Amino acid sequence: MFFRVIDKERLPDLVTGLSTEYEVIAPVEKDGRFVYAPVVDPGDVRLDYDTTLLPPKKWFFPAEETLMRFRVADNEVLDDEVFAAPRVLFGLHPCDINALLLMDNVFTGRYADPYYMRRREQTLLIGVSCSPSDTCFCNVWDTNEVHWGFDVFLTDMGDRYFASCRTVKGAEILDRFVENRTVTDEDTREFQRVVHDFKDAFDRSVDTTQLPVLLDAKFDSPIWDEFGEKCLSCGACSMVCPTCYCFDVHDRLEPDQKSGVRVRTWDSCQFKEFAAVAHGQNFRDTRASRVKYRYYHKQWGYLSKFERVLCVGCGRCARACPAGINPVNVIEALQTGEVR
Amino acid sequence: MAPRVAIIGLASDFGCQVQVTNMEDHLLDVLGLMDLSYWQLASSGHLPDEYDVAVIEGAVTTADHAEALLKARETAAVVIAIGSCAITGGIPALAGTADYDARYGVVYGDGVAVARGRQLPAPVSSVIEVDYHVPGCPIDPAEFVTVLSRAIMGLKDDMPRDPMCAICKTQENVCFLDRGRACLGLVTRTGCTAKCVTLGRPCTGCRGISPEANIPAARLVYAEKGLDPLELDRLFDLYNAAREVVV
Repeated sequence: MFFRVIDKERLPDLVTGLSTEYEVIAPVEKDGRFVYAPVVDPGDVRLDYDTTLLPPKKWFFPAEETLMRFRVADNEVLDDEVFAAPRVLFGLHPCDINALLLMDNVFTGRYADPYYMRRREQTLLIGVSCSPSDTCFCNVWDTNEVHWGFDVFLTDMGDRYFASCRTVKGAEILDRFVENRTVTDEDTREFQRVVHDFKDAFDRSVDTTQLPVLLDAKFDSPIWDEFGEKCLSCGACSMVCPTCYCFDVHDRLEPDQKSGVRVRTWDSCQFKEFAAVAHGQNFRDTRASRVKYRYYHKQWGYLSKFERVLCVGCGRCARACPAGINPVNVIEALQTGEVR
Repeated sequence: MAPRVAIIGLASDFGCQVQVTNMEDHLLDVLGLMDLSYWQLASSGHLPDEYDVAVIEGAVTTADHAEALLKARETAAVVIAIGSCAITGGIPALAGTADYDARYGVVYGDGVAVARGRQLPAPVSSVIEVDYHVPGCPIDPAEFVTVLSRAIMGLKDDMPRDPMCAICKTQENVCFLDRGRACLGLVTRTGCTAKCVTLGRPCTGCRGISPEANIPAARLVYAEKGLDPLELDRLFDLYNAAREVVV
């Protein structure tokens, strides 16, 4: 890893410089909240954002994308090229970088997804340090720290950023686009102080000791019925989740019926049809079972395969769920037997 | 042979039929799929004795309407209901939320019979079985084409079932409920890409209540957000006043 120091007031130069060769995506304000959106003017970038409405996954795995076009007459595939422009995602928080690493396990593993892969290969990630928000609980999963998966990570040290370059490409873009200097002993001492203060600031306490065992022990708990009664089956939690990767695939014909497109859209395990199969059988017919399996997959199923829980504690679901169901109150309810 | 299609209007403002004419880019493609035997809005001819597909717009408000529907069901192999009026009773059904006869009197005068066998406005499905649905007020012409082509190809109706919040999240809208404003998206049938919310208006439920809606939970959400829980039920009246009879 290479380290550099950038004066805070020079940072806009980096955005401007990157814009000459990449599409730069960064957090910008929208109706009092924040979204990752293309930026041209560095003045629009809001590195003081708490969290974004949608996670960065949409830039690799969009909510809706065309996988291919086909001709009806002879079933010929007309176009399945994946076009991905060179892009920089600028200003990602540690939780969101960790979330992408969890997505990578699924999309770049045994059955690599060419659409996700192509965009991932074409995208540089620049992270930035954050501070705790009302809803995040990343410290519970240790995802408020990130060690790899980024090209550059900027730690805010007041008047300057401590820039950790994880890749050669990351060091190159810094040297090319923004004035920077090498790290002094004083910088390193300050960095140590800042990152300790940062970790201390995250004090959300949730007991996750032996969580998979707890989940198994509580499989038939009536608390799932209580959550089932609260759940709106709206799927908002899955859409805003940086680690939810389930999708549906549809074929749509053009109005002339001569050609069509195969489209992939985000899906949610909270939708009734999600687990419906031929003959009308449905493995998750009740709301309670759908809420339950969301948590079993995230905190147990994925863990058994990849040794991590499928949650980074970003808190987006806690904000998005109209009924206020979220991992923290689910885990607490499992422990206390009471839904708060 | 192209299927013979008849477009029949009941009680409505014909807005959904207008939507079909609005799809300039694809209208000829769509007309090429069918033999348009009758289109109440766009032609002066009469409903023929034989046709294959009946496209019904509007709510049932008279005995004549009910009869026309029974005849259409008997004649056509496939019935497609388009728009809120046909599917939920829509705006016409709003008339039934108070004393219908008294309201009728206010509008048309006491004792004046302007329609034979007038009845409480109701959805098409209260009279006949409907095979395909294009919900919304007005309908999205692209959805109409998708449903029409599914009907012509014999694929099953694929009307979305889930509530709207998910698709609204994908549009990165800031939730109205979080801003203390009532919105029906959390119980309304999805499929419209949350157009109204994206344009800055709360959902009014024109696509009907989602069969998966958790209405008691939605009332609790309203209370939690500082709204009157029964506001949800009042808002339903605009498009879903006949919710008890929607099949």
